[in-house]
Amino acid sequence: RYCCSPATITVLHAFVFVSCQTAFVVDEVSTIIKESVEGAIGGNAYQHSRVNQWTTNVVEQSLSQLSKLGKPFKYIVTCVIMQKNGAGLQTASSCFWDNTTDGSCTVRWENKSMYCIVSVFGLAI
Amino acid sequence: MEEYNSGEEVSFNADEASVSVKECIEVIIGGLDYNQNKVNQWTASIVEHSLTQLVKQGRPFKFIVNCAIMQKSGAGLHTANSCYWDTATDGSCTVRWENRTMYCVV
Repeated sequence: RYCCSPATITVLHAFVFVSCQTAFVVDEVSTIIKESVEGAIGGNAYQHSRVNQWTTNVVEQSLSQLSKLGKPFKYIVTCVIMQKNGAGLQTASSCFWDNTTDGSCTVRWENKSMYCIVSVFGLAI
Repeated sequence: MEEYNSGEEVSFNADEASVSVKECIEVIIGGLDYNQNKVNQWTASIVEHSLTQLVKQGRPFKFIVNCAIMQKSGAGLHTANSCYWDTATDGSCTVRWENRTMYCVV
């Protein structure tokens, strides 16, 4: 009859704890991004003279919050702000990484005058 | 993942990557006009081919390739990116391409 020894059970629990602490958690990242976007451009209308500053603020704020999570990841954050005037925009991304540890998430935000698309890529160290 | 090198640190060669990506873009959309029905396919092809070429260089890197195609219609488009990584080994490059009817940023 097969029976797990106490030592084996302890090891399994440690593994589960570590992987939760070091995984790329899409929901957590998504929340951070949404807050960064709202904080930087919420309530504003598209303005050519300010959009440079806005994209910078969104990526910097997002990155700052992500690094505060203290996880062993390298991050890449990209932000696109586009004026709503009927033009078509298509984006795609492809990644060569470790499927078991790395991840990405994309947040799409809009208001009456513009679209904002933020992508975050997290690569485990 | 396979072992790639003898343990020396390599750094990202942006010029080489840039050249590979420009060739991929030319091959896939060079000479074509913006077409809403096809643009989905184009972005997917560009990222896949670019990634394949980059991986073929055989360097010990993970890659992320992003492509945006936008119709030329007077709209403003701004992009920014920020990276939290090892500045000694990691790097990025951006390629901007355009023709009469569209912009492509990779």
